[in-house]
Amino acid sequence: MKTRDTAKTVSGGLDRRAFLKAGGASAMAALLAPGLAGRAEAAGFTGSLDMLAWDFQPDTIKTLVGEWTAKGNPTVNVAVIPNLGYSPALQTRLRGGDAIDLYYNFAYNSQKFIDQGWASKLNGLPGVDDMVGDMFESARAAYVNAAGDIISAPYFSAVHMMHYNQRMLGDAGIAAAPQTLKEVYDASKTLKDKNVVASPYVAYWVKEFCEEYLHTYLLNEGVTAFDAAGKPVFADDPKTEGVFEWWQAMYQDGLAPKSVLNDDPGKLSNQMAQGEAAFFVLHHYFLSSIRSLGGPESAHVMQGPIGGTNHTFQIGEVLQLGAGEDPARREAAWDLMKFYGWKDSAGKFSVFNQWAKAAGLAAPYPGFFTDPDVIAAFPDYYDLPLISKTFETGSKVVPARTLPWYPDFQAKVGDVVHALLLGQATPKQTVEALTAAANAAQKGRSL
Amino acid sequence: MTASSLSSNALTRDDRRFGFRLTAPAGILLAVLLLVPTILTILYSLHDVPANGRSLGPFVGLENYTIVLGSSVFWRSAWVTFLFSVGFVVLSTLIGLAMALLLNQPFIGRGLARALLIIPWATPWLMIGILWKWFADGSVGGLNAVLLMIGATSDYHDFLSDPNSALAITIIAAVWRQASFAGILLLAGLQTLPGDLNEAASLDGANLWQRFRNITLPWLRPALVTVTVLNVIYAFLQFDVIFAMTQGGPGDATQVLSILIYRQLFGVTQIGLGSALAVILGFVALAGGLITVKLLYARGSQPA
Repeated sequence: MKTRDTAKTVSGGLDRRAFLKAGGASAMAALLAPGLAGRAEAAGFTGSLDMLAWDFQPDTIKTLVGEWTAKGNPTVNVAVIPNLGYSPALQTRLRGGDAIDLYYNFAYNSQKFIDQGWASKLNGLPGVDDMVGDMFESARAAYVNAAGDIISAPYFSAVHMMHYNQRMLGDAGIAAAPQTLKEVYDASKTLKDKNVVASPYVAYWVKEFCEEYLHTYLLNEGVTAFDAAGKPVFADDPKTEGVFEWWQAMYQDGLAPKSVLNDDPGKLSNQMAQGEAAFFVLHHYFLSSIRSLGGPESAHVMQGPIGGTNHTFQIGEVLQLGAGEDPARREAAWDLMKFYGWKDSAGKFSVFNQWAKAAGLAAPYPGFFTDPDVIAAFPDYYDLPLISKTFETGSKVVPARTLPWYPDFQAKVGDVVHALLLGQATPKQTVEALTAAANAAQKGRSL
Repeated sequence: MTASSLSSNALTRDDRRFGFRLTAPAGILLAVLLLVPTILTILYSLHDVPANGRSLGPFVGLENYTIVLGSSVFWRSAWVTFLFSVGFVVLSTLIGLAMALLLNQPFIGRGLARALLIIPWATPWLMIGILWKWFADGSVGGLNAVLLMIGATSDYHDFLSDPNSALAITIIAAVWRQASFAGILLLAGLQTLPGDLNEAASLDGANLWQRFRNITLPWLRPALVTVTVLNVIYAFLQFDVIFAMTQGGPGDATQVLSILIYRQLFGVTQIGLGSALAVILGFVALAGGLITVKLLYARGSQPA
């Protein structure tokens, strides 16, 4: 959640102004020439829709839905709440009977929300099969469950990438960005020993985010943590223990700062920008944060694939359609959802294009990466073909993450991984503890 | 008017009706805000409640309690809660008492100092947590700068990443606010202490400690009982400061029961388990408060 906070802090002000200008221009155009503003997408509904989002660039959200309304569609009441605690707040609202037509959600919550009757399946809605068909094959399982139910649409997508400081590597005599875990360890040790940087490796190792790193590093070693049925197959793969040994060594040997257990990604991006760290693995769009901070080392920070296998974790948070039963309202909400999570009525990725400009966010559609507007929206320092290729063939979504028991497992990973990093548990014990956590989550009711 | 004349036997039927009418609004408010949620929580704790809350779900008896009490996560969290509570209650009461004694003395700027005492108490718990998170930060925090300046440390420390110091810092942050509350209440109690008692004791040759032990402390006993009981309850129910500073981490080092309850009820929405935890914590806080009252009054009843 905090990842998006950071990007907001970093790039919010300037982009917000740009978007407000764009929004104003769109609204003016719509007022002057309603007939030219595009066809009304939700003509049958005359009320207003309710949308809930977390507070990443709230002005942009309002501008975007404003553009949709300006095309003759219903007005949208956008409520924005903090991302820290978004999921508990959303669940409390829905449990209390709030009828929300469209809302942001975390992918790992999506099937649970369907099962609880808080969100609708999208099957059968006009255009939904085309939307799914437009997606990268690798991304589809995040939005379509094993039974074929379409449970959500993309809000944004990202792939985990390695950010590294090229100048520092050069100063330490390291010719190329390290690839394997051992190479990253050795390079970090060299950078530390040569006093290039005291704590070369930073990671977003706060409790709630450890689960994403689990998948990122396991996939990098060729291990998909869960099979399609949700069985924790990572427990049977010796490479899992190797990953945990590496994590523990990086932390215990002082190659990562002690504070990473609590640091938010804004601080980590700043450490990269200021030259206080040389390596940072996180979503690709953090390059925008690091570069736009304008620190003395910002321009030296590059992006590349994690490890030599070019297998990483593809993440993306989602939009879910509320469970309202009024057909006209539901149709209008679906039109808004398509606009926000796929394409506008002209077939353009206009919303994703704005998010790309604002913070380097991506969409899980191959067409997104070939759209000239999108290509123009990404700053030059991005290797867009590399990101596109990573989406296409170098990343996975881990379908088990959307299973209804998964949020329970997700909540437990942080405690276990922190115990490993702090040296309170061995890698072997960590594998056992995570396996037990996964099994307990699937069994139901456990702490 | 004697106490016996106020006994219920002496009240007429109309008097009792009038009294009932007077207390009815407060009674209804309490029932709605306190009794109904309490009953619901107990009911939930006996069921496997679905996350959407549309029904109670299947009755599971005491199964949720069995799961909670059989879990090492619960006992670890209970131990952390105990450690936090002991540190919080002792420090906030003692520091509050010290501040009250100091601010009861005449000195230049006493009015300003008393006004400043209000500031921590007027700051919301969550704000305290956020402020202290930054203050204790290992890279830019003021706490390290202060410790370096006074020579207490030779290097910067990441207090919130170390399991031991993280708990200590969360206690200190919470005490920073609660001690001012204790100080305000105890200062009010001290201001009612007649000055001639201390003067007479001085004339009789009592030293400072003897006067504090035999005059000030007994005089403050009612206020101290109130402060300590409130501190005990606040300690067991503490959530905001810890959540803002560490979210229960690193690992489970600061995962007090209230954070575990939050995770179960609102994070993973296991309503039955979370409610069982809440009931247990409620009983623990109630028992803690009652034991404190009993201990303090028992000690007070002993001859000086």
